[in-house]
Amino acid sequence: MLKKLSRLSFVIGLFFTIVAIILLINDLLNDTSTKLNLYTGGVFLVFGVFMMMVKERAE
Amino acid sequence: MNLQTADYLIIGVYFLFVIGVGFIIKRKIKSSNDFLASSRSIPLWITSLAFISANLGAQEVIGMVASGAKYGIMTVHFYWVGAIFAMVFLGVFMMPFYYGSRARSVPEYLRLRFDEKTRGLNAISFAVMTVFSSGISLYALAKMLEIILKWDFDISIWVAAGIVMIYTFVGGLTSAVYNEVLQFFLIVLGFSPLVIIALQDSGGWENVKAQLEPNMTHAWKYMGDTQSNPMGLHFMSLIFGLGFVMSFGYWCTDFLVVQRAMIARNMRDAQMTPIIAAIPKMFMPLIVVLPGIIAIALMQPALASKGYSIPVDAKGQLDYTMTLPSLIAHYYPSGLLGIGITALMASFMSGMAGNVTAFNAVFTYDIYQPYFVKNKSDNHYLVVGKIITVVGILLSIMTAYIAQGFNNINDFLQLVFGFVNGPLFATFLLGMFWKRTTGHGAFWGLLAGTFGAAMTHGLTIAEGKGGWISPLYEIGSGMGQAFIVAGVSWIVNFFTTIFVSLMTKPKPEEELKGLVYSLTEKQKYTGGKWYQRVVPLAILLILLTILLNIIFF
Repeated sequence: MLKKLSRLSFVIGLFFTIVAIILLINDLLNDTSTKLNLYTGGVFLVFGVFMMMVKERAE
Repeated sequence: MNLQTADYLIIGVYFLFVIGVGFIIKRKIKSSNDFLASSRSIPLWITSLAFISANLGAQEVIGMVASGAKYGIMTVHFYWVGAIFAMVFLGVFMMPFYYGSRARSVPEYLRLRFDEKTRGLNAISFAVMTVFSSGISLYALAKMLEIILKWDFDISIWVAAGIVMIYTFVGGLTSAVYNEVLQFFLIVLGFSPLVIIALQDSGGWENVKAQLEPNMTHAWKYMGDTQSNPMGLHFMSLIFGLGFVMSFGYWCTDFLVVQRAMIARNMRDAQMTPIIAAIPKMFMPLIVVLPGIIAIALMQPALASKGYSIPVDAKGQLDYTMTLPSLIAHYYPSGLLGIGITALMASFMSGMAGNVTAFNAVFTYDIYQPYFVKNKSDNHYLVVGKIITVVGILLSIMTAYIAQGFNNINDFLQLVFGFVNGPLFATFLLGMFWKRTTGHGAFWGLLAGTFGAAMTHGLTIAEGKGGWISPLYEIGSGMGQAFIVAGVSWIVNFFTTIFVSLMTKPKPEEELKGLVYSLTEKQKYTGGKWYQRVVPLAILLILLTILLNIIFF
């Protein structure tokens, strides 16, 4: 894990994944008319997972 | 604007990550070179994004949204005229000298190319400017948080400065650069939803154009006459003042950004850094200019039902600097609001950390080592570099409090920075491309250029500013005045440097190899795909930039 954390792409991916989870949980707990948190959380989650996975070879 | 638990959680996660990055990098810091110059070991994608992020400070993000609202699409000139060409020039022509000379900083290049006094002059003025810029960034962050979130000014200052200090102190330049990349993604992804929602709410780009005066949505069409465009500028002033003097002066000589390219792993990566960085830079107006234009369109009668307006200041005038925070407050729900606030903080902290890491490198390498304590162990300079990081942060905090007490200190400092930076590119241009340029020529040219800038400002007046000697000539806008001041300072420096150089003895050609274009072996890259090579990519970027200017003519 420590080795992965020394890769910037993994750190960035992890950050956006955690933020995405916060946004998605916030959307589930709050019944709002707007779905902005859901959509943004979804995009952040895809980006976060992508950064954690794909950059492994590039670096 | 009220934050909820989710918002605070996101802010907390961000703080945890930026500090965590510092501690992860800490294990790699073994020498002063690791701490102050990253030992030239950073991959290209990181140097490129850090290059653009070092410039993506608060002034850029909040200032460009404000300019978008005030001047409309003309603000894109800061990108499509005032950035891309200079970044490409830096990559193709100037990086071989910076990187190839093995200089650790821009002032050190000046010592190699010219002499000690030119290095000293540049190092001292740069160190003072960076520490003041850092302080003003800190002041602006605390002020913004005080206004929009009612957070305590003192606590904001000390917490933000403390976080930046932790990650720059433990991880040095690498930590700052890694955080800049994280901050880049946060700023871009954090503000993208705002642009999409606001554009959709305003009825799309065609409707925005329909709501505004034509001179707000055409970049060039109304620049033939100073009276018909919101900046009050003629296109010639813009091309020479911004497109040449200010743009090349900043992107090609400011160590804060050049440092990010100098830490690349090899010459090719160093050259590619500003060129790759130019790609996101080209599209940055979508994030930082478009929201301002949309904001002003939303205030037009046809869109009044949307309920958005830019706040007004104490005088009842539109407070353009509040455009971005007010858009965030208007459109972002809890959760996304935390992202918006965190992205704002990231832009301030990125600017501050960039300044502090450039300050500690220049102070240690170009002031402390040559003038105070020479020939000590590497560990000594590592410790000094760390101490200077803390000193830089403390000076920034002091500057932030000075700025709080004097309303116009930011204007004053920006003015002084303009005087010092304006003429600098002439020194580098002559130094790199004319082997006859001498150290005396460079030194007196810089001083004369700075003096010329001060005189021009003292003899012209714009929006009530300047004219402190005698208001002989009135200029339509403060921005126009800045371009003219920069232009004059550049011309004065250029001709003074040539004149003094011709009167003084140049360095032997042997000493100038690798420092001057005509005496340096040209880089040859063979193999690899065209998009991995410097020149083809540079040409493509220039063509794309010209195309964007034509599309939004």
